[in-house]
Amino acid sequence: MKKITILLITIISTSYPQDGMAIAKMVDERKAPQDIVSKTTMLLTNSKGKTRTSTILSKSINNSSKQILWFLNPADDKGVAFLKIEHVDKADEMRMWLPAFKKVRRISSSKKGDSFMGSDLSYEDMTSRALDENNYKRLENDMIDGKECFVLEVVPNAEIKSTYSKHITWVEKETLIAIKEESYDLGGSLRKKKKFFFDSISGYDVINEIFVEDIQKNHTTKLTMDDIKVDSDIDESLFQEKNLKRLPRN
Amino acid sequence: MGYRYILLILTCKILFGQLSITGSLKPTGMFRISDQSRMDLPFRLAELKLGYTMGDFDFMLNSAVEYRWGENNPVFDLREAYIVWFPNWGEIKFGKQIHAWGVADGNNPTDNLNAYDYYFMFLPGTDRKLGSLSAAMTIYWGDWQLEGVIIPDHIPNRMPFNEPDFPFQISEPSKSDATDKTLPYEKIENPIEYGLRLKTTVGETDVGISYFNGKDRSFSLLGVDTFNIIKIDPKIGYRETSVFGLNVVTFIDDITIRAEAGYFTTENNYQESWFQYYDTKAEYVQYVIQFEYRTVSSSTIGAQLIGNHVLNAVGQTVDLLTMDQTTLNTDNFIPGLGTPFAMIAEQSLSISGSETFFDESLELNYNLLINLEEKGQMVGINAAYSLIENWSIDGSVSYFKGDDKPENSFEQLEDFSHFQFQLAYSF
Repeated sequence: MKKITILLITIISTSYPQDGMAIAKMVDERKAPQDIVSKTTMLLTNSKGKTRTSTILSKSINNSSKQILWFLNPADDKGVAFLKIEHVDKADEMRMWLPAFKKVRRISSSKKGDSFMGSDLSYEDMTSRALDENNYKRLENDMIDGKECFVLEVVPNAEIKSTYSKHITWVEKETLIAIKEESYDLGGSLRKKKKFFFDSISGYDVINEIFVEDIQKNHTTKLTMDDIKVDSDIDESLFQEKNLKRLPRN
Repeated sequence: MGYRYILLILTCKILFGQLSITGSLKPTGMFRISDQSRMDLPFRLAELKLGYTMGDFDFMLNSAVEYRWGENNPVFDLREAYIVWFPNWGEIKFGKQIHAWGVADGNNPTDNLNAYDYYFMFLPGTDRKLGSLSAAMTIYWGDWQLEGVIIPDHIPNRMPFNEPDFPFQISEPSKSDATDKTLPYEKIENPIEYGLRLKTTVGETDVGISYFNGKDRSFSLLGVDTFNIIKIDPKIGYRETSVFGLNVVTFIDDITIRAEAGYFTTENNYQESWFQYYDTKAEYVQYVIQFEYRTVSSSTIGAQLIGNHVLNAVGQTVDLLTMDQTTLNTDNFIPGLGTPFAMIAEQSLSISGSETFFDESLELNYNLLINLEEKGQMVGINAAYSLIENWSIDGSVSYFKGDDKPENSFEQLEDFSHFQFQLAYSF
């Protein structure tokens, strides 16, 4: 079945050259799990090579439109938890549980450029990109690591107040997975280079590693996802403030 | 057989539970700016937090060792020990614990469930609070949260009595030589305190209301008894105070606003037949409005407007300068409950921020507190440098400047201006 799909995509892509939006739509419609659970190791490396490692338990549903994270390590972050709920009709909701303060702190979702826990990922990087919030322009195809890729220029619409002026995204033709991206700041300078690595789990292509390099800060973040579980029937009620206060048993 | 089965189940449960241990070691030195002399105030040398999760239950333990340079007498402090049950509708907590209400950072007029530890007033979060035996229940229902807390016994603020290194010299009432009585405070007949709060989300705004009924955390002079013309017996105790609170968190573009206000009503209701009974009643309002902004470089700048306004005060009291009985009014009334920083200034402005340097190895925090009513400022700068993972060196300076009037709170704090060094290890 997968081979037929790939063949069809290849035929379509060679016979009827798609515009950027069509490719973005195909990427968006790619088969994705209902929910994902993973234990993520976040390795931050600064310009002097100094590293900091965090371990995070992550649970998400609906293509990460609802996500809850619990910090397991290091010691001074242990117990800190983060909840993100994306809304269509209003601003996204973000809350953090800070055990030292015993308070759930609501944080602004408008500052999308803020770094997530000192990493090179901003809250905007962690938010799903809605199709109609961006304009897509197809660029010349390219080869990355021997894989033929569609190349898209993604320009966020002004109304979403993105912290980026554009992204250049490399989408692997065979799998329709974004494997590389460059993001440019509002001044048009290259800000971040991102690489995405995937693994096939239960018939889905699931990200198992993300490498982000902040070119301007000379700082990198490597996220490695282990113990990945998909479609484990996560109850939507998990994504509530009360569940931030407690590390889940599973 | 039944007991063995229960024991087996319990053993399995304990074995398959999750144990979490965190803690820190923080040797700290504090020195006066004026003459670089060491300030011998206690600090928390070590902290240990244990969490044990078993099914829907969490067992939490929070302990510390207090140490004071110059005295080889470490003091163990079991700060919290409580159990939490997490049913799917909310949570129930029971034991010695610290509750945290309010939405602003550091100054919370609506957070009156636990007493303050005045030795640790400059620590963040719950570190400056005292645990109390209490039961709390929170119910979550959609966007709504309802929390109720019952505290069976009254715990007052821990005051630094007879501490030469503390800025405000407070004599312990029991040490008064005016009476033979050893009991410093009048007994509270009904010490039960309780609080309720309701929180919801309306659009992009979180709104909460709260109510607390309890006793003051700081003592007041309630009256005077006399046995003869020489022996005067001052009556010290805690007024009954109720607080209606309002909390709001909202966003305007890139600015986060956290605001809270408390309306306090207090009265002396000891109903004793002392020689002089100070029938005190007062109303006051405390508020904090906090603005937060994060810059493009991810540094944070915040401002807090902190206010304390006595709306009405009637009764009698004693003029602390002349020791004569006088009429209580809005100028000489001293609140016994609320955020301590609102009590040292009628209205003040706090500006704070943080910035990181050297690839986030060095974190700089600064704070400027300005008394808007009379002359007085506090400048605080803290720098924390992360040596290696879990280790950091922390240095801070707190500088107070008042005017030359002795009654000015910041003037009294001037000699408390200090710098502090700390080596911290977290595990």
